[in-house]
Amino acid sequence: MVDGSSGAGTGKGGITRRRVTLGIVLAALASAFGSLFSLLKVLAPANKGGGYVANVGPGDRLVYADGDHSGNPLRASAFEVGDAVLAYPLGKTGNQANLVQLIRLQESEFQPPVRKELTDRGFVAYSAICTHLGCTVSWVKNPEAPGASYSECFCHNSIFDPRRGATVVGGPAPIPLAQIGVRVDAEGVLVFTGGFSGPIGPQV
Amino acid sequence: MIFKWIDERLELGKFKEKFLGKTFPTHPTFLLGEVALFAFVTLVITGLFLGLLYEPSAREVSLFGAMVPAAYASVVNIDLLPLGLIVRRIHHWSAMLMIAAILCHLARVYFTSAYRKPREINWLIGLGLLGVTMGAAFTGYLLPYSQFSLTATSIAYYISRSVPWIGDWIARLLFAGDFPAASTVPRFFFLHVMLVPALLVSLVGLHLLVLVKQKHIEPEGNRLRREAEGGRRLIGIPVWPEQSVVSLALFFFMLGVVTMMATYIPLNPIETYGPPSPSTPVMRPDWYFLPIYGFLKLVPGDLSIAIAGGRITPETIGGVLFPGFLGLLLIAVPFLDRVSMSQNYLVNPLRRPVMTSLGLAVVFFLCMTTTAGYIDVLHITPAAMAIVLVLATVVIWLGAYLLLRFHNRTDKRGNHGKT
Repeated sequence: MVDGSSGAGTGKGGITRRRVTLGIVLAALASAFGSLFSLLKVLAPANKGGGYVANVGPGDRLVYADGDHSGNPLRASAFEVGDAVLAYPLGKTGNQANLVQLIRLQESEFQPPVRKELTDRGFVAYSAICTHLGCTVSWVKNPEAPGASYSECFCHNSIFDPRRGATVVGGPAPIPLAQIGVRVDAEGVLVFTGGFSGPIGPQV
Repeated sequence: MIFKWIDERLELGKFKEKFLGKTFPTHPTFLLGEVALFAFVTLVITGLFLGLLYEPSAREVSLFGAMVPAAYASVVNIDLLPLGLIVRRIHHWSAMLMIAAILCHLARVYFTSAYRKPREINWLIGLGLLGVTMGAAFTGYLLPYSQFSLTATSIAYYISRSVPWIGDWIARLLFAGDFPAASTVPRFFFLHVMLVPALLVSLVGLHLLVLVKQKHIEPEGNRLRREAEGGRRLIGIPVWPEQSVVSLALFFFMLGVVTMMATYIPLNPIETYGPPSPSTPVMRPDWYFLPIYGFLKLVPGDLSIAIAGGRITPETIGGVLFPGFLGLLLIAVPFLDRVSMSQNYLVNPLRRPVMTSLGLAVVFFLCMTTTAGYIDVLHITPAAMAIVLVLATVVIWLGAYLLLRFHNRTDKRGNHGKT
């Protein structure tokens, strides 16, 4: 108290002008700051369809995701064993969640937990979005030992083995890349047979 | 004439007496903070140029026949302007220089224990400045909207999301929705050119105000001079004219060096990175984020802890807990290493085995986590790197501590313990 002699401000428990004013000021501050909480909600919008929500459907054709052929359908004849490419379902290329890595391997190379019924003639496809922090995985081809090729995310070096269901064989990724069914149709073009077999994108 | 007119109204004479005569103690390391400040000035000036020409939008526009985001196109167009590329590089190099200068300044203050009473407040403000500066650098990453920008920002987005319980909300608040959202670039642009610089300016002002109020710390030599000559005033040079000349010379020297680097050393070549694309090539962040980047590579993927409805993932450990722990450690420093008497002279780091060896160990640890960012080119497994990292840090820590203890013991015998 600045002025101790007045007694008005120091009375115990009594209602004083000073206390009422203080109460009003505190209530005003509390409501003012309280109203800011509604702002926090406004400033953090949730967009519909954000995050990784894939909309691949059975029968969707695969098209090249980047490079010179970007947007063209993938033909089985263009692939040799050991080749891989990034692909989108035709007409749904705007959604990054749909990005897959299509790899052609020897059929004999597949081991559990790969789901062989989702592969065709050695073609196998996995989500290309790393389950660590969402970068796109790349195919590291080993020309001398094709069996030693693997998928790697170049951001933090997570390594996935496509022969064994994209199991994590190195690095910080928490779970495997989700497999997605593909087959070669009558025209020799690759098409999806269904959706992803597990969660895709960063697991955070 | 004009001076007299202004002086009669603003009393500049008084101001001159009070502030321009302030003493600056002289020591080469006292200029590190100034370098940071001058780098910031350079950033503001070059930022004005870039901000006037930049378009913070993700809408697709045509650039040389290809459809690219407008933000990317506008930065490519800046690069094509006369001096445009150089200004952008000066901006980027100055940002790196600013962070480097702040870190060196921090190291100087730490190792000479200049954070001790009465300067704890300025230590905390300084840490705030470091954090905000890194925030400024980070919000600048996204703006060119290249493939590099998108990847770096997307990683940060998922790191924010990995915060237990409130991660989703934090991520949406920072990135204005679920990244990549069209609203993220405008949000980052505003943060980068308005909110973060405003914070920086306020904190810099506060930092300097506290410095002026508390008086500058002095080199150890000044104590001896004072004991010999008497007097209580600071020993050094006045703000005007000596210190101003030194500072001005430093500013132009810095500007010269940065401009030369900007001219000859390519940096953030967005034309090479290209606009956003589906594939992610090998890319590393700027050097000051490399410790976090490297640490993220070392945390094993199956390390996931569920607590009270939240989840601590490898991303949380590498991207949130690790830098958070470092920050808390720095905040705690002046409260762990306390003194009862105010300390107004630099302390020789060699005389403080515990704090100096600890500081060296942390610096070494950060260098090693930076190295961990290169395990892919060094062909080291994360586990091996982690073991080397921990062992080597402990060895450095103990080694430095024992060496300093030994040095002080032998030195005391010769010097009769005079410090």
